[in-house]
Amino acid sequence: MRYNNSRTLALFYCQNVPGAGERERIGLEKKYGLSIRFFPIACSGRLEPVHLLSALENFADAAYVITCPQGMCRYFEGNLRAIKRVRRTQDIIAGIGLERERVGIVTGLKEDPKTLAEHAEEIFDKTLQMGRSPVLDKGEANYDHCATEAH
Amino acid sequence: MPEKYVIHTTTAPNRFKAVSRSGIIAWEEGCLRCAVCVKERCVYDVYYKRKLDPRQMIDSIDNLCMNCLRCVQGCPKELITKSLNPEYKEMGDDFFTPEIISKLWSQAETGKIPVSGAGYPGPFSGPGFDSMWTDMSEIVRPTRDGIHGREYISTAIDLGRTIKSLRFDDSGALLAETPLLVDIPLPILLKVPPFGAISDKTLLGWAMAAKRLGTLLALKIDDVEKLPDQFRPWLVPVLEEDLTDPAIIPVGVRIVEIPWSSRFEKSAKIIKDTFPSMLVCVNIAMMDGMEEKAVSVADAGLDIIHLELGRYSEKEPETYDPRRVKDAIRSVHMKLVETNIRDEVTLVASGGFAMAEHVAKGMICGADAVMAEFQLLIGLQCRMCRRCATGLSCPVDIQDASAKWVAARVVNLFGAWHNQLIELMGAMGIRDARRLRGEVGRAMFFEDLDKVAFGSLGSAGEGFELE
Repeated sequence: MRYNNSRTLALFYCQNVPGAGERERIGLEKKYGLSIRFFPIACSGRLEPVHLLSALENFADAAYVITCPQGMCRYFEGNLRAIKRVRRTQDIIAGIGLERERVGIVTGLKEDPKTLAEHAEEIFDKTLQMGRSPVLDKGEANYDHCATEAH
Repeated sequence: MPEKYVIHTTTAPNRFKAVSRSGIIAWEEGCLRCAVCVKERCVYDVYYKRKLDPRQMIDSIDNLCMNCLRCVQGCPKELITKSLNPEYKEMGDDFFTPEIISKLWSQAETGKIPVSGAGYPGPFSGPGFDSMWTDMSEIVRPTRDGIHGREYISTAIDLGRTIKSLRFDDSGALLAETPLLVDIPLPILLKVPPFGAISDKTLLGWAMAAKRLGTLLALKIDDVEKLPDQFRPWLVPVLEEDLTDPAIIPVGVRIVEIPWSSRFEKSAKIIKDTFPSMLVCVNIAMMDGMEEKAVSVADAGLDIIHLELGRYSEKEPETYDPRRVKDAIRSVHMKLVETNIRDEVTLVASGGFAMAEHVAKGMICGADAVMAEFQLLIGLQCRMCRRCATGLSCPVDIQDASAKWVAARVVNLFGAWHNQLIELMGAMGIRDARRLRGEVGRAMFFEDLDKVAFGSLGSAGEGFELE
C-alpha cells in the first residue's frame, strides 16, 4: 500500500532500533512514499532541538525520534539526553503556538523492542490525526496569534 | 604538452552534501563552559561555521570535521564522541564499498588523486583485484624524471583488429589492406549503466564527457537518437538482439556492439557489407564458455570482444560477483594466446573496475581496455542505493543535474584515474599503456605467492584454529 496524503513526518531513528537497516528503510519508503522522511542517526543523543525545528520549519508536519530501549544505549546516556532535548523542543514550539505533539520521542522496551516499521506506523497514524502544520501552510497561518503566545 | 597526454579538469562542486564517514556526538548537558573549551580551539573552526542542511538533515560539523580528534581527546568532561555515520555504512555494496564511493565522489568533484595522508590501514590481500600487487620496482624513476614532464607516458590504446604481419609486393607496396583502428587517449570506455535516475540531460552530459576525453560511450541503440548528431563519432550503439536490418544503425558511429549468439557472424556481415569502415564489437557475457566464444569471434575476423559482467549479473543476480573479473579476463586472454590469435583482436572488459588501480590490473590480466559504467553514476553522487531500480526517487536527483555539470564530473573522475594510471605505469617502468596488456611479469598474485611459500605445508581444514 502506498500512502497518498498531504502530511509529512520527519522520523529520526537510532541505528540500533531493530529493523533499521537500509533494506527495511527502502521497504518503508516504498510504503509511505514522501510522507515519511527517514533520517538514521548514530545515536539519538546526537539530535539537538535545531534538527527537529528545522524539519518543522522546512517540510514536516511532525518530527519524531525513535530511540533504542532505555538502558541499551551504546553511549550510555544518549536516549536519556534525547528525551530531555525533545521536551525542550516541545516547550519551544508550544511557545510559538504549535501543538506539543508535533514533536515527540518514542523509546522501545527492553523486553519487547518494536521494529522501526512498527514504530513508524504508529507515529504516522498519530501524524495523520493532526492538521497540516500552520508553519507550512503559511498562507493560512495565524502569525499574530503565534506572536502573542510567544510573548 | 600534447592533448593526448593531459586531461584538463575544473572543480565541479557537489550538488548535495556528501554523506560523511563519521559524525560528532557532543553532549551539551554537563558542559562547564570552561576556559579551555575544545570547541573554541578547533583548528578548522568546525563548531563556529556550523550550519544545517534541512533538505538532507546533514550537519556541517560532520562534513567539515577533518577527524583530528583533538576535541574528543581534549574535552575535560569527555563530552564529545565521534561515531560512524549509519547512512555511510549502508552505502553501496560488497564491491562499491562506502570508502570507494566517497573517494570516487572526491575525484569527480576535484579531478585530483585522493590522498589520505595517513598510510594504508587495510589488509594486504583480499579477493579479486586485491589479491594482485603491481611491481613498483621503478618507483624511483618518476621522481627523477617527472612523470608529467620530460618523459611522456602514453595511456593511448588502439581499438580494432591488427594483422599478424605486413606483406609487400616487389615494388614495396603493401599487399593487404591495413586494418581500421580507432585510437583513444585512455584505456577506459564509458557505458551507460543498467539502472539509475538517467534523463536526457544525463545522457547528453556523458556524451559530452566522452567527446572531451576522446573516448567512447556505449549506449542502447534507441538512445543514440536522443543525442545531437555531432556526438555520433563518440558513441557505440549497443544492439540487444541479432541484426537483420542495417538501416537501424545510426550513420556516423565508428563502432557497433552486437550480442554473441549462434548467428553473430551474420549480423557482423550485414554491418561490414553496409558500413565497411565500421568496427564490430561482440558482447560476450562473463560466464561459462566465454573462452570458446571469444575464440570464435576472433576466428570470424571481427574487431573487438567485449567481455561483460553486467549481462551476467542481470541473468543470474544471485551469483553476481565482480571479483571474478580478474580470473575471467586472464582465462579468456590466455585462451586467445594459446590459439595464437590474441594480437588480432581487442579485448575490452567491463563490470568490476571500481578504482583506477583496477584498470591497470585488468590490463595486466589481459584486457586492452576497460569499460566503466557504475562509476558514471557514482561520479554524479550516486550512493548505489538502487532506489531508482525499485521505482523510488533518487536521493540526489541525478535526473535534474545539468549536462554541463555531468560532463565536468565525469571528466574530473577519469582525469584523476588517468593521473593515477600514469603514476602506476611510471612506477612500473612502463611508458605505453599498450605494453601493459598481459604483462603479468609486472604483477604478483597472492595465490601464486601463497602456494610457493606455504604450499608444502598443505592446507588447514575448515574451522581449524591454532592452539
